[in-house]
Amino acid sequence: MRRELAAAVLGREVGTPGPDPANGDPLIAVSGEIRDVSPHLILVETIDGREERLVIAPWATAWHGVDMPPADLPVGSQVIMKTLHEGRVVERLWAGITRATGTILSVTGRRDLVVELDCGPHRGRRQVTIPYRATGRLRVRHPLLEPGFLFDAIGLREESGTTILLPATSQPGYPARAVPSPPPAFGGVQSRVSGSAVWSDAFDEEERGAAYPMVERSDVRCSHSEVSCVGLPYLAMGSLLSVHNVCTDRMTNVPITACGCVAGRFCDRCVECDTGSRGRIVELSPAAFVELGGELINGCFNARVGLG
Amino acid sequence: MDVSTPEWDWGELVLASQMPILIMLLLLGAAAKLATVRSDAEPGALARLGPAVLMPGRLRVPALVCCAVVEVVLAGGLLLTTAQPFRWMTVIFFALSTYVLVELRRRRPDAGCGCFGEVSSAPVGLRSIGRTVVLTGMALMSVWAPVPGWTVFAEPTWLVAAGIVVLAVLSPELEEAINRVRYRAPCEQRPSSESASLAKLRASGPWREHAGQLLSAEPADSWRELCWRFFAFENHDKDHVVFAVYLSGMRPAVRVAVVSRESMPEYTTV
Repeated sequence: MRRELAAAVLGREVGTPGPDPANGDPLIAVSGEIRDVSPHLILVETIDGREERLVIAPWATAWHGVDMPPADLPVGSQVIMKTLHEGRVVERLWAGITRATGTILSVTGRRDLVVELDCGPHRGRRQVTIPYRATGRLRVRHPLLEPGFLFDAIGLREESGTTILLPATSQPGYPARAVPSPPPAFGGVQSRVSGSAVWSDAFDEEERGAAYPMVERSDVRCSHSEVSCVGLPYLAMGSLLSVHNVCTDRMTNVPITACGCVAGRFCDRCVECDTGSRGRIVELSPAAFVELGGELINGCFNARVGLG
Repeated sequence: MDVSTPEWDWGELVLASQMPILIMLLLLGAAAKLATVRSDAEPGALARLGPAVLMPGRLRVPALVCCAVVEVVLAGGLLLTTAQPFRWMTVIFFALSTYVLVELRRRRPDAGCGCFGEVSSAPVGLRSIGRTVVLTGMALMSVWAPVPGWTVFAEPTWLVAAGIVVLAVLSPELEEAINRVRYRAPCEQRPSSESASLAKLRASGPWREHAGQLLSAEPADSWRELCWRFFAFENHDKDHVVFAVYLSGMRPAVRVAVVSRESMPEYTTV
């Protein structure tokens, strides 16, 4: 609605959400619950109750806590798949994957650690467990497991709760409330801003949307937005954001559907294909992230964003 | 400029001449500090400013406010009275500031002096320290001035101008201010208030043309994209009237379009 009105008054084209046709064969993310899996075929039930039968490519790999052959994935777990050829051939599968991003509220436990996170004003609180075998790996990149500091890790959703297995980034060294200010802008207007794009599972399953830090506080009714260590331009809820994955050279338009108030506090770099510019500029829904060629386990890709 | 004012002799004139500068600087310093405290939505920003960084985190705001209050009191005393305690306290204030700046430069070379709040964010240099030394000297001169500050305001001399020039040379903030004006952030990145844009819209020609057809004077929706702020209204035919106001300039460009309801896709709230 806002897009059409803005296009009408400024006399510009109304952008359309979805991948850029120049990408070539589009990647399509399919998610659902595994009903049956064999080395060559997988049967999933999607959120709207449809059953989908997909071919597993011979080179396909899967992740469920560790890398494994697709046929070993447990039946009944939630899976998100990267597919080729109009959604018929599966290339990569992630089962039960989840990501915990937020500010640490408390850390308890001696061997296994229980971390309580504040995931931002729109996402509430969340409790995650770091099993003893993962603490070493996590602490290397999260040395400050203390209240007030940021936390970002990838884990497995299980019946007993969320188990954290991998760090998703190197923890920023400042407290969550003390985000560095952006470098001074020198008047010149850049239509594209570089930084890292991440994913979050706080979106709906089939949603292709983005959370963007620089939306006005009055627009999202939240005092935590408009914070970023990158000089980002202001956009609104409903604006179309064109996201370019520099690593895979894929581009897509996604609407801004949420406030990126947590993403804006991370001033980290992504080292997916090259050392990127610092600062998280956009947080994508898992489906949008996968369709841009992102690898959920790595947690980020180097991106350029602009108004779509 | 009248050097031969009958009631004053030359020496007294010189002694009193710098009081306006002291008073103005004290008031400016207080105002800037209070503005910095008020605008400090992100408490991290204070961590880079002034002697407050030598304090523990929770005392930083009270320290800045306390400093500002002392400055206001001193400025008032200098302006209205000839009382010696105010004048000696001003000397002590600037002498202490000099000491604090030297200490700050030694212990936190990255922190700005914070003398004028957030504008003084450049690291403390010899110029900032030189400025407080000069100010201490000026305050010391004023101790023996025979008149309260307001009389010098009434009859300024060229010595005031000379004092201002000396301080301007010693002020890194001036360069900072010039740079900020020259290299202002592009309007895409500058915060802007919705009410100011609405006021500009209501003063514009396109608004006067369409205002009569609108159902309500308050926008049904408003949002901002880059340098434009959009206001959407409904008119009596239930069509959308959308205005776009540019966010830069005193009399910004305003565009308008009337979009019929039928041409719109199905409404989805955002």
